[in-house]
Amino acid sequence: MSDAVLSARGLAKSYLSGDRRIEVLRGVDLDVAAGESVSIRGESGSGKSTLLHLLAGLDTADGGALQWAGAPAHGDRRAQFLGMVFQSFYLVPEIDALQNVLLAARILRVPDAAARQRAADLVARVGLAERAHHLPAQLSGGERQRIAVARALMNSPRLLLADEPTGNLDEHTGDAVIELLLSLCRETRTALVLVTHNAAHAQKTSRQLFLREGRLGGG
Amino acid sequence: MPWYLYLALKQLFPTGKKFPFFTAISILGVALGVAVLVISTSVMSGFGREIRRWTVDTTGDVQVRGEGPVDRPADVLARITRVSGVVAATPFAEGVVMLEHGLTPAYPAIEGIDVDHVTGVIPLEQYIHYGSLANLDDDSIIVSSQLALKVGARVGDKVELYSPLLIERLKNDEVTLGRELKIVGIFEIGHQALDSSIVLVTLRTMQDLYGRRGAVDGFNVKIEPGLDADTAASRLNAALPPSLHARSWMEINHDLIFILQLEQNMIFFLLTFIIIVAAFSVTSSLLISVVRKTREIGMLGALGGRPRQVAACFCFQGFLIGVGGTAVGMALGRVILYFRDDLIAAFTRITQSEAALERFYQFRQLPAYYSPAYMRAIVICTIVISTLAGLLPAWRAARLKPVEALRSE
Repeated sequence: MSDAVLSARGLAKSYLSGDRRIEVLRGVDLDVAAGESVSIRGESGSGKSTLLHLLAGLDTADGGALQWAGAPAHGDRRAQFLGMVFQSFYLVPEIDALQNVLLAARILRVPDAAARQRAADLVARVGLAERAHHLPAQLSGGERQRIAVARALMNSPRLLLADEPTGNLDEHTGDAVIELLLSLCRETRTALVLVTHNAAHAQKTSRQLFLREGRLGGG
Repeated sequence: MPWYLYLALKQLFPTGKKFPFFTAISILGVALGVAVLVISTSVMSGFGREIRRWTVDTTGDVQVRGEGPVDRPADVLARITRVSGVVAATPFAEGVVMLEHGLTPAYPAIEGIDVDHVTGVIPLEQYIHYGSLANLDDDSIIVSSQLALKVGARVGDKVELYSPLLIERLKNDEVTLGRELKIVGIFEIGHQALDSSIVLVTLRTMQDLYGRRGAVDGFNVKIEPGLDADTAASRLNAALPPSLHARSWMEINHDLIFILQLEQNMIFFLLTFIIIVAAFSVTSSLLISVVRKTREIGMLGALGGRPRQVAACFCFQGFLIGVGGTAVGMALGRVILYFRDDLIAAFTRITQSEAALERFYQFRQLPAYYSPAYMRAIVICTIVISTLAGLLPAWRAARLKPVEALRSE
């Protein structure tokens, strides 16, 4: 796949558990194109989050190769290249929703005026313009996750990695968050890798994969 | 503002929170240490200044003495005043007498002063609370306030003085009477020892009482403002004959000043530990914060935050607590010092120890002086210690790998 935003070849990862070495990933191959959405399902402990951390360059693989937009993945490029959404939101509790979104740009030293406008637009786009100045504690779970999605998209990433983003939400709210995530990625042609337990959410992506015994296969 | 400094500020002063409890307690801990340091060093500096004041105000910046009585004082006085840096000088003669008022005796130190020259060196007039220095002549006397109180004498009363010379005459069966003098002034310097046991007479009266025939015991010398007293003493020693020796007020009170300085430094050193203890509580609070925010720290790493920036965030919090604690502590210390006399009065009233305080510490009011050097040292030490307190949490936060932090339970 020549226009692959993400390209992984033979990714392998194992952990020591006491004296035993557990092979979590045994050669994962994955290509994701711009604008494509891919879901990854698997049983608990199958290595979905580990795979996502490897794809994000947060963790180092024991073997294999990872490329972002045709170039070797490197931690220095991560913040510019990809955004991440997690099950537990991880918003900074001491600052309001808008500032949480803006934080992603501040870390990359994006000029303040331009960043402020984009953050405000994104907060409006996720439907929380009126709650922009509320603290995370004053928001519902679904609202917090929408702010986390806005933060992940703040630096216009080419790839969005979502690790069970609806895991802490009720079904109705979870559906709304997934719809938002998919529509935003479509609008911005951002590639999406969605790790989920929810089959219905997985069905909404353009490609469904299943992680089993350390390898990715068709769902 | 860099994001890590912004976050540090927000973690200390979260948006929408009127009273940041953790921050307030941390700042208060440091502030109490600073306040105690400010109060103790200021009071010690005040004691030092007070000693300087009453020493210089009673003996001048430099004192010149002979090996015995100094004859031809006018010649010596002329030589002293010719020395560069000397503004004025005045001769004195001193001794001890028995003073009697009614049937109440006292045994004060007596000092004969040259009424024409003394005010050029010693600001006596400002300490005379009743009467006037201008009325002092060979038949009058000025007494210290506590002494006047002790013998029940007032301005206008007459007292009798008996010098050792008169007592010698009594031993030889000579008929002699005490020297009757009229009180023309009562002075109060503010130092218990001086206020309770000194009388002033003219130089001639003193010379008569001691049979000195024009000789004096020494000269009090005033020097130019800003000139070091030790330097002036050295110049005088170079210009005067070897039989005369000039000593600065620091040299005269060397032991006392040394002890005060030693006490001041020891107090500063010991009380710095209060700030160190407070800094440990800051470290503990920040460490708890790091543990509590482990996954947030992982998220910041995932967003591109570098370990040293995460570390700076926690280090800056220690710095800000240090700055806040110093500012509040300085203000608190100054407020307490402002009301120090009221507080001490209340305390001594409760403990019924007013007299003991006055007798033991010699001062009727607690002196205080904000020494710029000590204030600078307090500010620098506190901010450095507080910033160091943030280092351990900062180091721990910087060591967290995003992937491990995000996985942590």
